Amino acid sequence: MRHFIKSKGDFNVHIMEGFLPWQWCLFWYIVALPVVAYGVIQIKKITDKNPESKPLLAVSGAFIFVLSSLKIPSVTGSCSHPTGTGLGAVLFGPAATSVLATIVLLFQSLLLAHGGITTLGANIFSMGIAGPFAAWGIYKVVKKSGLSTSIGVFFAVFIGDLLTYIVTATQLSLAFPIPTFTESFVKFMVIFAYTQVPLAIIEGLLTVFIFWNIMKLRPDILEDLKVIVPKIKETAKELI
Amino acid sequence: MFENTLDSYAHSNNLKNVNINFKVLFAFLTMLVSLISTSPVIPLLITFLMSFLIIFKAKIPWKFYLKFLTIPFFFGFLTFIFMAFFFGTGAPLFEPGIFNLAVTEDGFNLGFLVFSRIMGGFSCLAFLALTTPMNEMFSIFENLKMPKIVIEIAMLMYRYIFLFLEEAENMYYSQKTRMGYGSIKNTFKSLGLLASNLFIRTWLKGEQSYIAMESRCYDGSIKSFKAHEKISVKNITILLFFESFLLLGIYLTWGFKII
Repeated sequence: MRHFIKSKGDFNVHIMEGFLPWQWCLFWYIVALPVVAYGVIQIKKITDKNPESKPLLAVSGAFIFVLSSLKIPSVTGSCSHPTGTGLGAVLFGPAATSVLATIVLLFQSLLLAHGGITTLGANIFSMGIAGPFAAWGIYKVVKKSGLSTSIGVFFAVFIGDLLTYIVTATQLSLAFPIPTFTESFVKFMVIFAYTQVPLAIIEGLLTVFIFWNIMKLRPDILEDLKVIVPKIKETAKELI
Repeated sequence: MFENTLDSYAHSNNLKNVNINFKVLFAFLTMLVSLISTSPVIPLLITFLMSFLIIFKAKIPWKFYLKFLTIPFFFGFLTFIFMAFFFGTGAPLFEPGIFNLAVTEDGFNLGFLVFSRIMGGFSCLAFLALTTPMNEMFSIFENLKMPKIVIEIAMLMYRYIFLFLEEAENMYYSQKTRMGYGSIKNTFKSLGLLASNLFIRTWLKGEQSYIAMESRCYDGSIKSFKAHEKISVKNITILLFFESFLLLGIYLTWGFKII
């Protein structure tokens, strides 16, 4: 287990405890809260209608947690972790994913010491809201334009990841606008471009592979997902 | 198998039986105090105090704790270097002579402040993570009036995470013994297979556990034992004194700079 849990020397996009000044911690909590609240209402509606979706949502969340603790070898030689929320957004929709990601981020800070409590709001916004919403939007757009599911999944995860990094860089440079916001933003983006862009491509490809495997082995699960997202059934049928 | 995770220590440390509300309040307030500090003095003091409590009061093996502390230290130190070089506008302090780089005074101070805040906040987080079992955290969430559905999903998720990590580990080692991680290409193939099979297996487990729960009268809510302990007056006094001492320290060291 140590192999999965160990995090020393890995670079990940979580903003660490104590990194942001308190004003920005508060700000991102206030920004993230309404979206998560909306997600909670959505989840409550789903689970009230069919209670069997409750354990399924829980396993999905646990899956995101385990996926994000897998190590992916990156081009630069270091190891990095996938965010895992792109797949979640495609499978379960962005609102449910935002709630699951919130719980996952809380567990990550309390069980693995990734991220933190005071920076939780900022992390929720970048990894649980901006990323998944972008991934879901891109997936819908690509699907509508008639391209294949694989391309849709790849670009959803790739752009979702990129947006997560851009939002994180924005959050960091808003907190430390020295000498100006733009200059600081450029500095953070340069770091992220080196470490995270290859990772986004890798995670995109990996997620396509995962999606493709699930389609091949157990398409019925994706059909069952109509419990959470009714439209997924059509996607699964197209591929069979 | 989990001897090295935070979770096992949370269940077997010397502060396990201390009032849960007290521990959470203590860690959280100290974290906030560390966060609002504008000088590195108090956050570093908090780091030492918290580490002292973790090693000598909670009796967490110091080797494990120090190893654990290298994560924020490494990250904080990188941040410090990065900020010292790139986040200053003032007069240069030190020029290594390559790429026109220079450490500036305000960059150095800012970097050190952020470094100390990371260490301070992280030690409070470590205190919380190492002394408080998750199932007790759930009762805190309930007291905070978090939506019931969220707590239930979180509880189930907590259970599944450990199941799935074990499953993932088994798959990982059986792939590894079959040379699944021999080359980069194989690594990606194996990781993809692992993740997709994990998804399928986790899904089956979720369905099975729903059937199991339903056959045991699951009606959509999990009843949990809630201990409603009050924090003793003595502890409240200690807490207030400690935090006001830190706040006084923050006031006295307001704007204090290393250089």
